[in-house]
Amino acid sequence: MATVDSTVRAGATAARDADGGAAGIGPYRLALRRLRRNKAALAFGALFALIVVLCLCAPLYADRIAHTGPNANHVTDTVMVGGVSKDVVSPTGQPLGPTWHGRFLLGADQNGRDIAVRLLYGGRNSLEVGALATLLTMVLATIVGIAAGYFRGVVDGVLARILDLIWAYPVVLLGIALGTSLALGGIAIGPLQLQGNSLLVPAFIIGIVYIPYVAKPIRGQVLGLREQEFVDAARVGGAGPLRIMWSEILPNVSSTLVVFVPLMVANAILLEAALSYLGAGVQPPNPSWGTMISDGIRLIPSAMHLTFVPGAMLVLAVLGINVFGDGVRDALDPRAKVRLEERGEEASR
Amino acid sequence: MRVWIRGAAAIAVALLMAAAGCGGGGSDNKGSTSGGGGQEGGTISVLMGTAPDYLDPGLGYTTQSAEATWISYTPLLTYRHETGQAGGELMPGLATGQPQVSSDGKTYTLTLRRGLEFSDGRPVRASDFRYTIERSIRVNWGGKSFYTSYIAGAAAYDSGDASDISGITTDDATGRITIRLTEPYGAFPNVLAFPSSGLVPSGTPMRNLSNDPPPGVGPYMITNVSPNRSFTVRRNPRFASFNIPDIPTGHLDAVNVKVISNTQSEAQQVLNNEADVFDAGDTLPPSLLPQIESRASDRFERVPVPSTYYFFLNTTKPPFNNLKARQAVNYAIDREAMVRLASGFLEPSCFFIPRGLVGHPTSACPYGDRPDLARARQLVQQSGMAGTPVTVWGEERSPRREYVDYYTDLLNKIGFKATEKIIADAVYFPTIGNAKTDPQTGFADWIQDFPNPSDYYLLMDARAIQPTNNQNFSKVDDPFIQKELKRLNPVPATRLDSVADDWTRLDEYTARQAYVAAYGEESMPKFFSDRIAFDSAVFHPTYLNDWATFQLK
Repeated sequence: MATVDSTVRAGATAARDADGGAAGIGPYRLALRRLRRNKAALAFGALFALIVVLCLCAPLYADRIAHTGPNANHVTDTVMVGGVSKDVVSPTGQPLGPTWHGRFLLGADQNGRDIAVRLLYGGRNSLEVGALATLLTMVLATIVGIAAGYFRGVVDGVLARILDLIWAYPVVLLGIALGTSLALGGIAIGPLQLQGNSLLVPAFIIGIVYIPYVAKPIRGQVLGLREQEFVDAARVGGAGPLRIMWSEILPNVSSTLVVFVPLMVANAILLEAALSYLGAGVQPPNPSWGTMISDGIRLIPSAMHLTFVPGAMLVLAVLGINVFGDGVRDALDPRAKVRLEERGEEASR
Repeated sequence: MRVWIRGAAAIAVALLMAAAGCGGGGSDNKGSTSGGGGQEGGTISVLMGTAPDYLDPGLGYTTQSAEATWISYTPLLTYRHETGQAGGELMPGLATGQPQVSSDGKTYTLTLRRGLEFSDGRPVRASDFRYTIERSIRVNWGGKSFYTSYIAGAAAYDSGDASDISGITTDDATGRITIRLTEPYGAFPNVLAFPSSGLVPSGTPMRNLSNDPPPGVGPYMITNVSPNRSFTVRRNPRFASFNIPDIPTGHLDAVNVKVISNTQSEAQQVLNNEADVFDAGDTLPPSLLPQIESRASDRFERVPVPSTYYFFLNTTKPPFNNLKARQAVNYAIDREAMVRLASGFLEPSCFFIPRGLVGHPTSACPYGDRPDLARARQLVQQSGMAGTPVTVWGEERSPRREYVDYYTDLLNKIGFKATEKIIADAVYFPTIGNAKTDPQTGFADWIQDFPNPSDYYLLMDARAIQPTNNQNFSKVDDPFIQKELKRLNPVPATRLDSVADDWTRLDEYTARQAYVAAYGEESMPKFFSDRIAFDSAVFHPTYLNDWATFQLK
């Protein structure tokens, strides 16, 4: 991972030739140009964007079309389907299947809640948690990674051990441990006061557990960068450590960070779903794709859509952002793709 | 025709069992055929949706716990191993006979059977009884107020003012046990029949021993405990020699209990004969019900159990320290919705004393038959509690999670600002029963300890409020209820009918005061694999699946 940004800069000239680019074009414009040519990445990026837009429109759908909220129970209500009045939940507890109309488009769950509305709100929650967790991870990992790599010595020793400590725990287990304890008592660290059922709790947990996955490569890259001549020049020019890290090191790791963002969003969404499925993420009755899958499990034989629909949305969203993320990586570091292909050939030989 | 079908079915069962013997299965099936048609010996597997709260008889207070402890720790008196009302009849357990009660109803005298031994071989002495009661108090059993409120000196022992319970005197030489009460209590013989009154040896550590349960006297003993995951109930080889009448010595060698939180998987395994018993405390998933009713009709039955399902409303803190706020909840709740959430395994009711029990009101529900949301909203406004934040506590397992989801939405609809707190099943009741938690409202249920309304009114008795393992979740401390309990509790079980109207009036008063939002009484599933003799297996009205009567076909 330490090679991404330096490769972009060092290999910019060669890459420009390969791309038929004109002299004077910056590495990011060049990458954007390459990304535009990657139709698959763009298509999946558009798919992810579409899911985001749909989820953002959840309140609109709930108010104007479904006429119900995500947590509104309709256990004893009836709904007209094809001119016939049907129970939203039958006397034996069986929920309504898809109506393919505005109300209960995808059917109801055990509590008579509209699946389509919960799906969109659940997506909103999942994406919100994913975005916030990624933001937290990226900010903290950047600070930790650059500080550890630049200062080395004691600072590096302490920070690296903390990262090792977090890394040593399996992500899901650490998430469950933190999730179950924080869901009960919330978070109260100085001015940071969060209720146990706040969406910020799973975002905080996921944001913390993924820090080593970004900070470690950044640290490795910074260890190399700090020995570069342009850093020496800045130091000789009288710049202090903070200024060097901000104006010399950070720009050089920025493309690595850009590559990490979609990957971390995908990972955060998946972990949120896993934690929520296990009851340690988004707290009921708030929906998320993970909680919806969990809720639907006991009705799989008769109402598979309760599990399948949120599962499919989760797969599409993660697939979309992952393929798009790969495209971004390829665009920022065309050599990485070549290297991967070469490794693949070697392995097949 | 009918005879032939039975014959064919028997042949089919025999062939299936032969096949099972060849092919192997999830459970050991060794054993010899008994004279009764079933086999003696063998092992079955029981699945539980939630782990017992404790496997220590001095602490356990859930049905999952009682199923194991009541056949492993026999008290001085116990219940008949029978289905239905007969199962509510008391009979001598380790005592030689029924207690002799003094004319003032305050002194009980019993005699311990001779020659009894604990499962580890130690002899049972009369003094072990006093130690057992002291231990249940010291480890803070959830129902300890049954002891501390009535046995002389028990309250002083509980508070640390006495080193032992002065009201219990024992004579190891004669086996004589005398219990003095502070006031007459008609249901006291039932108190002596609690699994927590099941004898353990003197000197048993006074701490939670769920992971390594102490020795007891019973047809079975609890072993191999893997906390919250599994345990085994194994036959106690010493018990049969005691020849205690009417307590079955058990047919099975062992019962392997496994905790499996997914009721879908739990039911599917029993349906497919991969496991033998579905936990009666769990609700069958609605998606599997049609299959179970068609494919397993000969091994599935809905059994009504005297029970009350309710949401407790903490009367000591806002918003439910306000009568109108509590009544609003009772007006709003849609009991038909609760029935649907329970897959039809609930009979709607708004009274605390369930049907079939003396004192159950036959009058109309004071809050009407249908929910009245408009009235509920109006009452919330009048109470001045609109917008009050409310945390609703609930368990993970279905349909209790669904009940709480519904209830939270309902509270929001009538004007509160409700959020949920769902916690693991195994720690739910200890958590909400802890004074530090002091929950505002949440799910609760009660399945009778004994067929007497006073058992239900433990949950409304101010004397039952305790810092840990509290059962009076609403923290009801009502002078009228206390006065009535003082008058009604002493009435012996044999004369309960004479005060039926008084209990009814009390229960109607409780409903009007809306101390809880009661919504129904449960039917429980008796659901086994094909391997178990269904008809001879007792479904006890208090302790549910009676494993001591289970037998392989």
